[in-house]
Amino acid sequence: MSLFTRKDRLPIPPKDAERFTTVCQYCSAGCGYNVFVWPVGKSGTAKNNAFGLDLSTPSPMLSGHSYTETMHNVITRKNGIKYNLAIIPARESRINKGDYSIRGGTNAIAAWSDTGYTKKRLKHPLLKKGDSFAAISWADATEIIASLIKSSIDKYGADSIAMKFFDHGSSGVGFEDNWAVGKLFLSGIRTNYLSIHNRPAYNSEVWGSRERGMHELNYDVDDARLADTVVLWGANAYEAATILYTEHIMPNLQGASVDEKKKEFDAGEPAAEGRLIVIDPRKNASVTVAEAIAKERVLHIRPNLGTDWILANAIARIAWENGWYDKLFLEKRTDLKTFEDYKTKSLQLSRTLNEVLAEAEKITGVGRSEMQQAAEWIAKPKAGGFRQRTLTIYEKGIIWNMKNYDQVAAIAQLNVLTSNVGRPGTGCGREGGHQEGYVRPPAPTPGSIYAGGPPKNVDKYLTGGGARIYWVGGTDPYLSTPNSQFFKKVLKKRCATLLDHIDEGGVPSDPKELIRRVLDGFEKTDGLFMIVQDIYMTHTGNDAMLILPAAAWGEAADTSVNCHSRLLRIYDKFMDAPGEALPDWKILSMVGIRLRELYTAAGNQEMADRFKEMDWKSDEEVFLAGSHEFGNNKIPETEEAKLSAECYKGVTHQILRKLGNTGIQTPVRVDPATGELTGTKRRYKYSFSTSDGLFKWYGTDAWSGYPAEIAKYIDNPTYPFWFTTGRSQLVWQTMYHDRHLPEKSFALPLPYIEVNPEDATRLGIKSGDMVEVFNEEGTSVALVYVNDACKPGLVFGIMYHAKGSMNHLTSSYTDPKTTMPWYKGTKVGIRPYRGTPDEAIKTTSLLANNDVS
Amino acid sequence: MSISRRKFLQSSTAGMALALFGLSGKAESASGKKYPSLRIGNIRELKAGEPVQFNYPDSTSPCTLVMLNETAIGGVGTLRNVVAFSSLCPHMGCPVNYKSGRFVCGCHYSMFDAAKNGQTYQGLASQWLAQVTLRFDKASGNIYAEGVEGLLYGRISNLNIS
Repeated sequence: MSLFTRKDRLPIPPKDAERFTTVCQYCSAGCGYNVFVWPVGKSGTAKNNAFGLDLSTPSPMLSGHSYTETMHNVITRKNGIKYNLAIIPARESRINKGDYSIRGGTNAIAAWSDTGYTKKRLKHPLLKKGDSFAAISWADATEIIASLIKSSIDKYGADSIAMKFFDHGSSGVGFEDNWAVGKLFLSGIRTNYLSIHNRPAYNSEVWGSRERGMHELNYDVDDARLADTVVLWGANAYEAATILYTEHIMPNLQGASVDEKKKEFDAGEPAAEGRLIVIDPRKNASVTVAEAIAKERVLHIRPNLGTDWILANAIARIAWENGWYDKLFLEKRTDLKTFEDYKTKSLQLSRTLNEVLAEAEKITGVGRSEMQQAAEWIAKPKAGGFRQRTLTIYEKGIIWNMKNYDQVAAIAQLNVLTSNVGRPGTGCGREGGHQEGYVRPPAPTPGSIYAGGPPKNVDKYLTGGGARIYWVGGTDPYLSTPNSQFFKKVLKKRCATLLDHIDEGGVPSDPKELIRRVLDGFEKTDGLFMIVQDIYMTHTGNDAMLILPAAAWGEAADTSVNCHSRLLRIYDKFMDAPGEALPDWKILSMVGIRLRELYTAAGNQEMADRFKEMDWKSDEEVFLAGSHEFGNNKIPETEEAKLSAECYKGVTHQILRKLGNTGIQTPVRVDPATGELTGTKRRYKYSFSTSDGLFKWYGTDAWSGYPAEIAKYIDNPTYPFWFTTGRSQLVWQTMYHDRHLPEKSFALPLPYIEVNPEDATRLGIKSGDMVEVFNEEGTSVALVYVNDACKPGLVFGIMYHAKGSMNHLTSSYTDPKTTMPWYKGTKVGIRPYRGTPDEAIKTTSLLANNDVS
Repeated sequence: MSISRRKFLQSSTAGMALALFGLSGKAESASGKKYPSLRIGNIRELKAGEPVQFNYPDSTSPCTLVMLNETAIGGVGTLRNVVAFSSLCPHMGCPVNYKSGRFVCGCHYSMFDAAKNGQTYQGLASQWLAQVTLRFDKASGNIYAEGVEGLLYGRISNLNIS
């Protein structure tokens, strides 16, 4: 009867079960988890077990102990023995306190199991031979890659190698793997054509804040409970950083953190239930859940797509006009020279308040009263003259907006203008997507157009015929890159061209012959040799020449920091990787070592030296090697701003194992007074990360309409709908795990769009129908959910899904200052699909996910 | 946890009557024990959209029986629109309330589609709501609970509680 086999009983871990601590592999929240492993056939009892609980009576609600159907799996280790695996939320973690999201709750069933849902993991290196893949040895794979890279660099230069790799933490990678990527590509190969997993270039998503002297991870999770006002700006926390919302923002709204506030606030300072401002074109569940709790303390503002920086500047102008800032703070902590530019261009002090707000209303579509309300909640001093405490959290709605640099800068500056940084209950930073774990040698492009940039657009390079080799690691650009229908069409053709050239006269067997033919193909065709390194086969991988199987989360010891506290913890190894899969750092190490040998044999010592120091023997060795990149960290607390946000120098895997779910907050210092490793709770209490410690202001651009890639659709009746994209609560990224889990694949079977009821009526469509969404960039087929999340005229689509991508529709526009795409704004037409709807709609829910009433 | 206790009390399932249990359930649990067969209502007494509370498979497990306005996965009755589910959210055990075709948790707002096997279509519950297996006796109109598909919140085994 049930759509899939359910369990009504779970194995009990015995007292002597192996235990590990880890952190969830999914979102930026980074919830703590405990792992138990014990042989199948062994069992604890209700009264005597590794949980240390009496399991003979049901747990009371909200006990903080959860062990559900999705938290158990059976795994096989290299010794061939089957083990039970239980991964349960950690009550002792101050991040999640036993709570968990729909993603984290599946950490166990997503683990590799040769008898379970995830059996399709990649197990061996694969080489395309003819029309299909055949397993090859690591030795051959390494030889092929190293030989081709060397020959390509020697003949065509380093820029003939393009790459797209993860730069984040968690999801099976961490500081360890990032250091290895950096050593191979930044120290060794030194190509300029680098790109990060989710975008076409190698750039920060938040140079607009960093170049002001404010790293984007500056607040602590406690600040979400201590703030008078939390602002979620283009950040759907309930669905994308769920535990930040339910354990920290929600209690604040409910008034459950008032006592904490009284302890942290100044004497006599008012402490009340929190308020929430959500700035998002959609009325998503982050809005409706908050409104169900305390509607009177929730403000939802819905700006027109692409206009947020104008809104931020208008709110800042209201605050300025009312004197809701601390003059002393501005004078002592910020650079008054650049402040003039901010006053002129962003606050527009040469114009009247009325003029500025009237124009802002017209551009953003946001009423003046809402701007006024937002300014009051963000900046108006409380009774007794105490400054407001506002925590502003922004994410892809801002980062992947039009004009990435100005959007981020405007929000950062609004918060600094109103002194909302460095104090309990304040901060201004990212919500984050993944957790972080970045340590690499310096990148070729240090910053935006104002600081040595912009970086190269690798997508345009590849589609324009650039590069001979393209190495993709831990990402699926066929789904995730902008304008992806065009991108994959060109890459598919270039890969096929090379394959045809190689196969002419028969498929080669000897790797040396293969290398010879590839190099010949480089000379005679525009063919591309694509390498894909991942844990499952991907959409991109289907066109690759070579597939490299990587270890996943839990199959190597990794370290990362979460985004809301920069909390460094170990994500320990508790199981073996399938088949011959290896940690990412190990794969890169093997290629680096071989390149060094090849260059040494060729007598090119200079090139050989570029690939030195890559022969790490363990996860911890790579971690420690990376730590030297951070420089001196023996400094007092007052100088913490000088440190890199993720500095972990002095920390070892062993130390982190001892700290378990407690972890330590980066940047980590060696305190000069005590000699102890010391974490940093929140940043920028004393100074900012600039040479003189002062916050650097920036005068943002004036509104000048939409870029050509979008302007062509304005007033064109064929494309009547504005189109934006985002995540779903239910699934993680490309659904690389989720597509295999029935709980997820039944509930979210197809790529989908959300359409307002008025538009649905006009189009003659209803929930459960299929449509084609189209524009001049491409087309996507989607399932329709009709709900009131979008206003009429705006359509939302899941950004990508295992079965298709909405990035077929996104344009190739990037911010000229940062090369950051505008994934979240274009225009489309919608054509109802008249065939038989997909079978999947019979078993999936079509109810509105933003209706919690 | 920082959940409003008042919210919990409002949606509490307190006051539910403990029904009498039969002895010969059909379904067998993974533990080898048999689920009891329990008459939980009669189709002529049910009104669409009006939930009825009962306990199953024992007195500490609150459940909800409801007639929907649509055919449901696992539904019984001539229109296959009568379903029953555990009333405890599989996420952290808070009560779920039936409203307009779905169950909503008052603690973290997980939502489960009653016609679609109790699937989580929004919220935090990685496990779907546990659905009670029903048997419908056409002649009498009686509805019997005869098993549970899915783990009940807070238990290591649905039937192994001693």
